[in-house]
Amino acid sequence: MNRFLAKFPSVAWFDAVRDVYNKDDAMHGAGSGTCNCVVGVQVGRELFQLTFEGFECSRAEKITKSKLDDCDFYLHMTAKDWRSMLQNIQEHGHATDNFTLNTLDLGRVEGLSASTHNDQYREDLFFRYNQTLQFFFDGSARIKTTF
Amino acid sequence: MATAKDADRVRPALTLTKEELEVEVPEPRLNWMNQWREWGVRVKPGEKGLTLGSLNVGLYGEIPMNWPDRSRNPRGAIGVTGTPPVAIQIKDKVDLWAPCAAELYEEAIQRRWAPATDVDWTAIHPLPEDIERAICQVCTEICQYAIIDVEVITNWQHQMAYGYHEVKQFLATTTLDATRRHEAFRKRALVNGGGLGYEGPCQVSRLLLESSGGWTETVTGLVLVRAMFTQMMIRYLTRFAYNGVERKIYECVTQDLARLITYGIEHLKYALAHAPEKQGSILTTLAIGFRMFNRDLRDPVLREALAIVFGGGIAGARSEGMHVFYEMLDEYVEELLNTCQYLRLPVAIEQLPKVFQKDQRSLPGE
Repeated sequence: MNRFLAKFPSVAWFDAVRDVYNKDDAMHGAGSGTCNCVVGVQVGRELFQLTFEGFECSRAEKITKSKLDDCDFYLHMTAKDWRSMLQNIQEHGHATDNFTLNTLDLGRVEGLSASTHNDQYREDLFFRYNQTLQFFFDGSARIKTTF
Repeated sequence: MATAKDADRVRPALTLTKEELEVEVPEPRLNWMNQWREWGVRVKPGEKGLTLGSLNVGLYGEIPMNWPDRSRNPRGAIGVTGTPPVAIQIKDKVDLWAPCAAELYEEAIQRRWAPATDVDWTAIHPLPEDIERAICQVCTEICQYAIIDVEVITNWQHQMAYGYHEVKQFLATTTLDATRRHEAFRKRALVNGGGLGYEGPCQVSRLLLESSGGWTETVTGLVLVRAMFTQMMIRYLTRFAYNGVERKIYECVTQDLARLITYGIEHLKYALAHAPEKQGSILTTLAIGFRMFNRDLRDPVLREALAIVFGGGIAGARSEGMHVFYEMLDEYVEELLNTCQYLRLPVAIEQLPKVFQKDQRSLPGE
């Protein structure tokens, strides 16, 4: 299989994963489906914003810290922890054991999902859309990631 | 099988007589055709399709604070006078409304899943007997919680005024979610050589079933006590899932419960904003709910079963498994207190029974 090569973290990497996610109908059913939220991704000091609209992840962009307020919630880990998660996904084709978004949120003292606004309605979208978000990151198994 | 002779015997009865054919059909008056409260509405689908919430335009979008009509008249239609009232008790918006109800309804429809086909049941594999028995016991209790959810919610649905159909429709999805939860966990219990275990203690369940004073108070127990704990338990089960079958079930159920929890929290927020005097009854219900929950937790069955699942067997249950069980309880309490803070409900950890206080609880054997 000729897989797209991209460096994590970068907009190019998120765009490649978006492409996988947007084109695979299997990721839009079975408990997934339409998803409408803005997700922040913090990798060490770098920040990105993913916009989910309907069945698509329509946009990925690099943002500054002040834009975190626009995110319904953001997923934060060190670069090392993101790398461990993505390597687990590469190895198994999807996240397993302690590397699913849910288990990372439970298992880490500082959690995984956070917000800057303390609006619980927006924060809880992490749980309401958990399957979609998991499918999205599992899609990274189909690209070749460098770090 | 009918014979030709039978057909001969039947046919004359179906043949209309000359008099019957000459029955006078009155000219249609069609006087109902000009009776509309608002005509010419043309809602256009948006980016999310033609959603339930998008229909709230003009007078069809008028959602009054009180709906005195105790009939099944759909909001915006012309009611029939003289209809005997039906048993609608919840007629005030403050008693059931959550602004997100229509959105949650659409989400529940969109993000549906089917345990029969969306779970790869072939991925199950034999487990050590102690673990299989523990999982089956946990499944049994979650099945029971689901049955209670259905009964509690449906018992209130018919009492809610039709003027607030968004909430009624969303709650219909939560009962489907609960039946699906029952289905999925029953299937997991029966798919791997196990079976159903003990019925759990029912103090919280009884509180929910007997809660008849108000829907808001029922929501307090149903969401802040039962659903939030169940969701936390299922999230921990995901962390310790033994195969893809369980992981898939747990992940989907977490989402289903998240919608019910969101409705509950947003309803409580709405109720407290529009009727601050409800704070007293909400706090009292919460206190009673925790007392009942405390009694349920004295029963060792669920605690031991979860500890075995978390600890990887009986041997690991005593140390690691039980430690994880109480970590799960602490996480639940933390989420609950955060939610109370969000709702501006004055609840402190010191007010909860000792088992919910990390520094105060005495563990079994101590």
